[in-house]
Amino acid sequence: MLSKLLRRIHLYTGFFLAPWVLMYAVSTVAMNHRAWLSGETNEGPRWEQRAERSFDGVLGEGTAGEQARVILAFLDLDGAHNARWNPDKTALVIQRQQLRDPLRITFTPSDGKVLIEGQPARTSALLERMHRRRGYAQDYAADDVWAFIVDAFIIAMLFWVVSGFILWWQMKATRRWGLAFALGGLAVFIGYAITL
Amino acid sequence: MEFQHLNRRIHLYMGLALSPWILLYAVSSIPFSHGRFFDDLDKAKQLPNWTKAAEIAFEAPVPEGRQELRELGRAMMRTAGLEGAFGAYRQGPKQVNVYHHSVWRSTQIRYLIEERRLVVEDKRFRWDHMLTGFHAKGGFEQDSLLHDSWGVVIDLACLALILWVASGIYMWLPMRNLRRSGMVALAAGAVSFALFVWLL
Repeated sequence: MLSKLLRRIHLYTGFFLAPWVLMYAVSTVAMNHRAWLSGETNEGPRWEQRAERSFDGVLGEGTAGEQARVILAFLDLDGAHNARWNPDKTALVIQRQQLRDPLRITFTPSDGKVLIEGQPARTSALLERMHRRRGYAQDYAADDVWAFIVDAFIIAMLFWVVSGFILWWQMKATRRWGLAFALGGLAVFIGYAITL
Repeated sequence: MEFQHLNRRIHLYMGLALSPWILLYAVSSIPFSHGRFFDDLDKAKQLPNWTKAAEIAFEAPVPEGRQELRELGRAMMRTAGLEGAFGAYRQGPKQVNVYHHSVWRSTQIRYLIEERRLVVEDKRFRWDHMLTGFHAKGGFEQDSLLHDSWGVVIDLACLALILWVASGIYMWLPMRNLRRSGMVALAAGAVSFALFVWLL
């Protein structure tokens, strides 16, 4: 009964989370070969102007994040973001963290201009954004749910390993080879953990 | 041996061999996902993150290009008596930083250009940083066979993840009593994922 239950949970969690497994696998390869894929190493993103608007509203007092929300609401772009004033307080720079199309929005109070910039679409960059996306720091429900799924993914990975070992141990015919693979993998891993 | 049988064995043995990596990436994702919690825990200890290990006179031209900056980083590492993986970063007009990292230790070398000296600082060990550092450890950007082989192992682990999904689906296909529920789980996952990519 326990074996059957473990098999079912192993299968259904694996199926539901399969897109995340594939995304983390492919994005890791993309990050592991970043220099080769993008022809550059850790260079900053290239920004291109998308639009320019004039803002004549009131930002109000508050943190840079709160003031950024006023600008984002004005642009109808409210969502996950980071914001900071540049050191001499002449511009508020907002990074709007859209997975498919991240934007940099720069508001300069002196002339009321809002500059909207985007990046050229690149599959490897999209994969990397998905891989690095975390949610709890943002005040948006979709981000919180994404973060919750990432936590569920972590628990599922732990469960796949534990249930995999339990299910393996019940199959007597595979014990010897299974032990060899498990110990072999562990030895290689410990070797890397010590030397890297 | 029929293919279905072989497929089951590959799914199982690959999982057993790569389980340390799966555990590493699972456990180390917790401090990534809840970084603020771990930072607050650490701040409560009120301990410094860096301890000065040495100050050394040093002078070298600072290049503009990234590859040349890595050469400067290598010279800084040599002068500080360090070997191993590192990254070199232009911190500002007056400073270049080299970050030397192994799984268990991290050292920072700051080149203060105008003062013509290197400041070498050791980082205090933190379990959460060790885990996230190990998680993020790439291989191919370093100049050693050991790190290259780690890069290959990461690629193999990723290939294994893809094979697990494929072999799992192949094992499920003949199970007629689970076809509908399995299909529902697959479709629900795919739709949820697509929805998030659209929304986020």
